[in-house]
Amino acid sequence: MRVIIEYTKEERVKFISHLDLMRTMQRAVRRAGIPIAYSQGFNPHPVMAFASALPVGVTSEREYMDIILAEPVSLPVLNERLNHALPRGIAIRDSVVTDDKTPSLMSLIERADYRVAGAEWDWEKAVTAYLNEPEIIVEKKGKRGAVSVNLKESIHAVMADEDDPKVLHISMKTGSKGSLKPEIAVKSMLELSEQHFPGDESFGLPAAVHRTGLYILKDGEWVTPLALKKD
Amino acid sequence: MDKLLLDRIMGQVSKPARYMGNEYNMVEKNPEDVSIRFAFAFPDIYEVGMSHMGMKILYHLLNERADTYCERVFAPWVDMEQKMRQTGIPLFTLETKSPVSDFDLLGFTLQYEMSYTNILNMLDLAGIPLLAEERKEGHPFVIAGGPCAYNAEPLADFLDIIALGEGEELIEELLDLYGDWKQSGESRTAFLERAARIPGIYVPSFYDVSYLEDGRISSVSPNRDGVQPRVSKRIAADMDKTWFPERIIVPFMDIVHDRIMLELFRGCTRGCRFCQAGMIYRPVRERSPERLLELAEKLVQSTGYEEMSLSSLSSSDYSQLELLVRQLMDRFAKKRVSLSLPSLRLDSFEKEYIQEMQKVRKTGLTFAPEAGTQRLRDVINKGVNEEDLINTMTAAFESGYSTVKLYFMIGLPTETEADLRGIADLARKVTDCYSRLQQAGQRKKRLKVTISTSSFVPKPFTPFQWEPQDTMEQLREKQQFLKQALRIRNVEYNWHDPEVSFLEAVFARGDRRLGRVLLSAWKKGAKFDGWSEHFNMAAWMEAFEDNKLSPDFYAHRRREKDELLPWDHIDAGVTKSFLWMELQKALRGETTPDCRLDCAGCGIRRLGRGLC
Ligand code: SF4
Repeated sequence: MRVIIEYTKEERVKFISHLDLMRTMQRAVRRAGIPIAYSQGFNPHPVMAFASALPVGVTSEREYMDIILAEPVSLPVLNERLNHALPRGIAIRDSVVTDDKTPSLMSLIERADYRVAGAEWDWEKAVTAYLNEPEIIVEKKGKRGAVSVNLKESIHAVMADEDDPKVLHISMKTGSKGSLKPEIAVKSMLELSEQHFPGDESFGLPAAVHRTGLYILKDGEWVTPLALKKD
Repeated sequence: MDKLLLDRIMGQVSKPARYMGNEYNMVEKNPEDVSIRFAFAFPDIYEVGMSHMGMKILYHLLNERADTYCERVFAPWVDMEQKMRQTGIPLFTLETKSPVSDFDLLGFTLQYEMSYTNILNMLDLAGIPLLAEERKEGHPFVIAGGPCAYNAEPLADFLDIIALGEGEELIEELLDLYGDWKQSGESRTAFLERAARIPGIYVPSFYDVSYLEDGRISSVSPNRDGVQPRVSKRIAADMDKTWFPERIIVPFMDIVHDRIMLELFRGCTRGCRFCQAGMIYRPVRERSPERLLELAEKLVQSTGYEEMSLSSLSSSDYSQLELLVRQLMDRFAKKRVSLSLPSLRLDSFEKEYIQEMQKVRKTGLTFAPEAGTQRLRDVINKGVNEEDLINTMTAAFESGYSTVKLYFMIGLPTETEADLRGIADLARKVTDCYSRLQQAGQRKKRLKVTISTSSFVPKPFTPFQWEPQDTMEQLREKQQFLKQALRIRNVEYNWHDPEVSFLEAVFARGDRRLGRVLLSAWKKGAKFDGWSEHFNMAAWMEAFEDNKLSPDFYAHRRREKDELLPWDHIDAGVTKSFLWMELQKALRGETTPDCRLDCAGCGIRRLGRGLC
């Protein structure tokens, strides 16, 4: 039985790395006594896969993982037991059973939406500057040094919030080619619109970055991984 | 505390989870609801501090108290420290991100001498006056405990209170007293005076030390009424009744020892003469297998850990080890909890255990013969012989092992070239033994033998407390010799530069005057001295020079029998006369049997009836 789980990663745990999160989930599953399936082989490990790594320091209201259960468990029970066994700041929102043949979430996710809140800037100006450029080359730091990428090709859409002047919405492309950190996009847009960092840049971006969702393109529509529910 | 600023700098430093807290099983309380705020400080980074069992025990124990909130604080790594200093963020606790200076008590654990500068650095980052005498009403009381507390004289100027021995009962008494004192509105000194009456509490400022012209100590005496001339360590008599947490914090980060550590017993009866732990943690007190199984069950359930280790000084001496290991395996193998048995001793490590261990997981083989010849092993009373070693290893190789690590010390008292050659001979015998099996077609894999040597550091409360340490030149020569002698196929040799061991030797047996050296060295930038990338020998040597103190006086001098040692006013249980007798036996090459078999009269019995 394969289950897709939707969970949050909140403010109080936002500085843990993806690896830390994976370890935390594994231990929570053990504490919760959920009959997860283990892989075969010399060093068996619980079968658990994550949709998309969240950058360190970013909060999220909708993250996804899927697990394989060795024996069936009712979903409300699974959610409750897991919630009880998780550290505060990570909470299960929902879960659905999916077909065993569903491809990995990581390969399906194509879009990640973020909400950037920072009072210091004029986001309208930043968006206009961004839209006016045909091409924006930014440096992306990877394991093998920095590579240049075109920011315009990494972003689906950007938009200043209609009501809240502090807020910018960015919809980033994700996928097998790797995704860009929203912080890089924000910095580049600020530069283009000649808006500067207040204070010391080495203290980091004075803004809260929050992931609002991860999406899959299904029949021409953006849906969350929960739509992979088996009928 | 500026939360947004803290957030921003945490986003810029390596491994920010070190400063985040909020782990599973972290205790949450409202600071307003308690009358005592206790900051438990470990003077090293999170990954090291959180691996320490004593910290977990006391953290959860203190938080059992309704009147107390105990929070944790670690030494921020250099990148974080730099940003904290730039932004003016003071040292803060993980639980509530409160400035440490707001707390009632700040307790450091002293695990190794090379963490002392980090204590000064943390006090400074907290904005607390470094010197105890400069602290006023409203500043936290700075307390220290742990193995180095038995001779914390180099830290005497910086600490208000030193706690000796096992903390479980003592800390409760101290906090009860603190609660009363806080309500009374009396002076700081009044609290210290009352605290000094608790057995195991040592208030260094209540003692005056005078020196002879040649630098030795002439007297240590209380400078006020009601202060004991000698302070005895505390011992928790019944381990089954001694509090042990059933839930422990499960870090998000990968820490050094990320597993359940089951403490089978305290103390050790082997009597190795170089080993301070073996002397100061006497007597041996075991937990019953029933209690251990119960604890293991609860900890597995409350943490979700996938690994458990048995942590005691020599776990394989546990009287019911076989029964315990079998039951642990039976119970937890199906829950996929692997059991690792570290610090195994040659003489009780049987083939069967090796196979048991492999059922769950294969760990490397490590042995610590400590010295290369039987003669020297007798001197240090390491009751291990070569035949056992080779037999055990043959058994291990036969059941599939092909990597083995052997630990030795160099610079031990009476050591000669023959003893060093003995290390190489032993390495060769191990490789020969493996080749024989290989020729017989029993082993295919390539063998890997790692020989590691550390430099011997004489420690207080051991029979070698009077002995000089080898000079750094001598130690380097010995390492050179071994480098040559260990050019053997499949053998790798590891060693450490003797500089750190030299400083350890200075501070381990140091007196109060070294406080000035610590302060100067810290001002010159010394911190994280246990981390090779930060160790700054030049700063240390300048600090000694500036304060006109010779490190050789502490490290390389042989003490006389009647010399008053800086820690003689501390009673760790074993008597000075026992230690002296042990030294004489060592020099004659005589061994002392395991005192489970035959009491050696170490003196611990004086500290309580029925203890041993
Ligand atoms: S009193 Fe005797 S048996 Fe007990 S620890 Fe000391 S030497 Fe060993």
